[in-house]
Amino acid sequence: MRHLNSIIIVVILLVAQVLICNYFNLSQFVMLTFLPVIILCMPVNTGTIRVLILSFLMGIAVDFFADGILGMTAAALLPVALLRKYIISLVFGEEVFARSENITMRRQGPFKMNIGIVLSTALFLLVYLHLDDAGLRPFWFNLARFTASLAASSLVSLFIAALITDEERTKWR
Amino acid sequence: MQRSTRWNTIVAAAIFIILEVAACGLINRTSTLQNSWINRLTHRMMVFTWGFGDNIRNYFSLSKANDRLAQENFELSRELDYYRNLYPEERARAVDGSDNPDFRYIPATIVKISSNTQHNYIILNKGYADGVEPHSGIITPDGVVGIIDAVDAHYSYGLTIMNTKISVSARVGSNGVVASLVWNGITSNGALLKNIPLHYEVAAGDTICTSGISEVLPGDIPLGTVCEVYTVDGVVNEASVDLFQDLKALRYVTIVSNPVKDEIVGLEEKEDRI
Repeated sequence: MRHLNSIIIVVILLVAQVLICNYFNLSQFVMLTFLPVIILCMPVNTGTIRVLILSFLMGIAVDFFADGILGMTAAALLPVALLRKYIISLVFGEEVFARSENITMRRQGPFKMNIGIVLSTALFLLVYLHLDDAGLRPFWFNLARFTASLAASSLVSLFIAALITDEERTKWR
Repeated sequence: MQRSTRWNTIVAAAIFIILEVAACGLINRTSTLQNSWINRLTHRMMVFTWGFGDNIRNYFSLSKANDRLAQENFELSRELDYYRNLYPEERARAVDGSDNPDFRYIPATIVKISSNTQHNYIILNKGYADGVEPHSGIITPDGVVGIIDAVDAHYSYGLTIMNTKISVSARVGSNGVVASLVWNGITSNGALLKNIPLHYEVAAGDTICTSGISEVLPGDIPLGTVCEVYTVDGVVNEASVDLFQDLKALRYVTIVSNPVKDEIVGLEEKEDRI
């Protein structure tokens, strides 16, 4: 039942991401994404191989339905999936794995959560924007786009993280 | 336990590489812009990898190459002296290059050459910084090697004649029929001269040269000799050709570019529009 809930939440978030990609183009400088936070907030005992495969499928699904360049989101999500465990150890500590406790806003606190989100989103954006740029745009444009996208995406991701890791809601269920 | 963790990390890294390559493959197929960018990156990576290995190999074979060059230089000097004495009036023309003023020649070394696929390529150590332009010819004294396809600052990427996409305009003898010369798809020194009209006589042993009617290659570069002639579908003749230049035994080439190529192409385009 808990698995089913998690799957439904992930599907809803993917649909939301597709809608944002298709209908909410704020500016050419802002690319709004919260896919890295979905990867980050997966149960900590999920193996890296499983996370890699899920990230690839999620990326392909978003690219397909968002009418983007097929494979670009997947290519950018994979490094996040590969380094997820290292980001968690670095930001939240090794004991998270020892206790097998999931990452939640209440346990980790908004500050640490924000650092984790910024790191994973930055990794995603670095690859995504680099692939999207294809060596055509000037460095200042890429830097401005990266900074604006990171700020906007981190804010949205923090809100999403609070929503999907809500312990009260889980307890109530 | 530690061994199992290490094993998991290796498998995860392998799966990451496979999935990343798959994603890049999808990007490559979906978008032209990203496709050309990825191709450029791949070429640069290949140049770096093969160029590094080649530099090391060259370093250890320098003395042998020097000996060979010295011997070749000596023989060429003797040959030159002989012809100078034979045709003194031609000497001035040969020195100022007025024999073939339309073409520019740039010597280059092969960084990598492939020969085991149907679409073989060559990477040379000269790029646009050295004056190389796309669609320049690659030749040796023994024939045509290929055509430059893409140019980077210090390296260029070309398709060799051992590539099913390449055809060279060739002439039988110096005044014979002009036809397309393509790779036979099997050997590194075999080619086919295609679509020869039946009323032209081509015989085994005839020499094949470049026709000079394309803007890429100068004329009269010897390519090979006709080995066998046969009729295809009773409509045209086809000749199998033994190339003088074996692409598997190659190290140095000359890039030949036509400075007035753009003018010729522009003229053709203007004529097409009319």
